[in-house]
Amino acid sequence: MTKTTHTVNFTLNGEKKTFGTRPDEKLLTLLRREGYRGTKYGCGQGTCGACTVLVDGRATYACLLYAMQAEGRTVRTIESVGTFDKPGEFQKELVAAGAVQCGYCIPGMVMSATALMETEEVFEDEIVKEYMDGNLCRCTGYEKIWVALRKTLDRQASAPAKRAGKKSSSKGSKK
Amino acid sequence: MKLSEFTRPDTLAAARRTLRELGPKGMVLAGGTALHFMQGKTPVTAVDITGLGLSYIKQKGNFFVIGAATPLSDIQRYRGPRWAMHEICRRISTHQIRNVSTIGGNIARVFPWADLPVVLLAMDARMVVYSGKEKEIPADEYFSSQPARLFRGGDLLTAVKIPVLKAHHGFGSVKVTRNAAAFSLATIAALLELKDGVIKSARVAAGSAIPFPQRLKPVEAALVGKEAVTAVFKEAAAAAGTAAKWVGGEGMSADYIRELAEVSIVDALERAAEFARGRAE
Ligand SMILES: Cc1cc2nc3c(=O)[nH]c(=O)nc-3n(C[C@H](O)[C@H](O)[C@H](O)COP(=O)(O)OP(=O)(O)OC[C@H]3O[C@@H](n4cnc5c(N)ncnc54)[C@H](O)[C@@H]3O)c2cc1C
Ligand code: FES
Ligand code: FES
Repeated sequence: MTKTTHTVNFTLNGEKKTFGTRPDEKLLTLLRREGYRGTKYGCGQGTCGACTVLVDGRATYACLLYAMQAEGRTVRTIESVGTFDKPGEFQKELVAAGAVQCGYCIPGMVMSATALMETEEVFEDEIVKEYMDGNLCRCTGYEKIWVALRKTLDRQASAPAKRAGKKSSSKGSKK
Repeated sequence: MKLSEFTRPDTLAAARRTLRELGPKGMVLAGGTALHFMQGKTPVTAVDITGLGLSYIKQKGNFFVIGAATPLSDIQRYRGPRWAMHEICRRISTHQIRNVSTIGGNIARVFPWADLPVVLLAMDARMVVYSGKEKEIPADEYFSSQPARLFRGGDLLTAVKIPVLKAHHGFGSVKVTRNAAAFSLATIAALLELKDGVIKSARVAAGSAIPFPQRLKPVEAALVGKEAVTAVFKEAAAAAGTAAKWVGGEGMSADYIRELAEVSIVDALERAAEFARGRAE
């Protein structure tokens, strides 16, 4: 990239960061330049979902966001969800289901699913489809991705101990 | 659109001042999703309006007031009495786009395929424009030509006011696409007021298949005073040909698109009538 002229500050995967940038640099370009290569460049125009990251918890296309728009926000990339050695729950299910072919769409899929799991409590098909409607896969035909996601969601929904635990912590403190 | 500078004013007055100073070298940025596709030779300064407290939805008397910088996903999630805006928002693009693009960005500069202008025309919404003070512009006037004309001097859209649907009023919208996230082939929205099964008033608007969103007045005229039944809807929809200039595209002829619109008009009217009846008591 040509010389940076501006700086932008945001929390990236839990760490406060400052980056050099330019007013028309895309967040996607900045992230990949800084080594966060799990976020993919597919179409560059908001139609494929390969570049999906979470901004303040919401799934967003990094190719349609200027880096400057991230100022003061919380950004999460696929690197925060899992690694090769320690994959996240949905990532494990994707592998188990044989749902990954070329793999290019997968980081985006995982980020959309992360937004879903961290925002919603009830995972009806209608809601799940809504969260996942911005991610295209050109290899798999979606079936196995859906199976892997459904498994992950069903497990999360039927984990009462963990969920109740979350809630009871505030109740508990009142005692 | 090339951005040479990026500013984040913290008050509405400061944003307007900056935009006035910059003139054609300034550009409001809300979600910014449309900016990436806009052609322009001269670089501009982006004036980010997302820090001005313009993201909210509230019911105030007979209106729902939606802040101009409210993302479409919030409008889709919101629920209020006889609320009808969520359906069309769910049908716009994808989850990721809806999370970022705003109601203001959709209607401050209207692209031919934009869906919200169609709905806001049918709903008789009012746009609030800030020019040092706030002024309300009714939808018919606001969408009479490209609304960007209103913002050239640095003025800003601050809110959209949508009338709360009264009893016996019903709303329906239809967006026809080739696949779920595609741009619309035809978008139709209809507002009906019924009295004892008879149509007392009607507003029907179309977009996408025509050069610019507009009301279909001959269709509306063919509805008023008649019974709210399918045969009447079909007869009224047949007036669509005289109401607007239908444009073909994507391998479809203008006649085909007009027929698509006619079918969609009937569907939108059926939905509006059902809404009006279902919630009349
Ligand atoms: C892949 C894709 C698919 C899409 N599909 C659809 C679709 O099917 N239907 C549909 O309706 N839309 C669709 N959109 C359009 C999308 O809704 C627009 O990009 C969006 O409405 C623009 O909103 P924004 O907040 O991002 O606006 P911005 O990009 O920030 O701004 C858009 C324009 O409006 C001006 N502006 C913004 N806010 C204000 C304000 N408050 N006052 C004055 N001027 C203002 C800006 O200066 C700019 O000229 C799609 C977009 C993409 C990228
Ligand atoms: S690269 Fe961003 S949506 Fe395709
Ligand atoms: S696995 Fe190849 S695009 Fe999805």
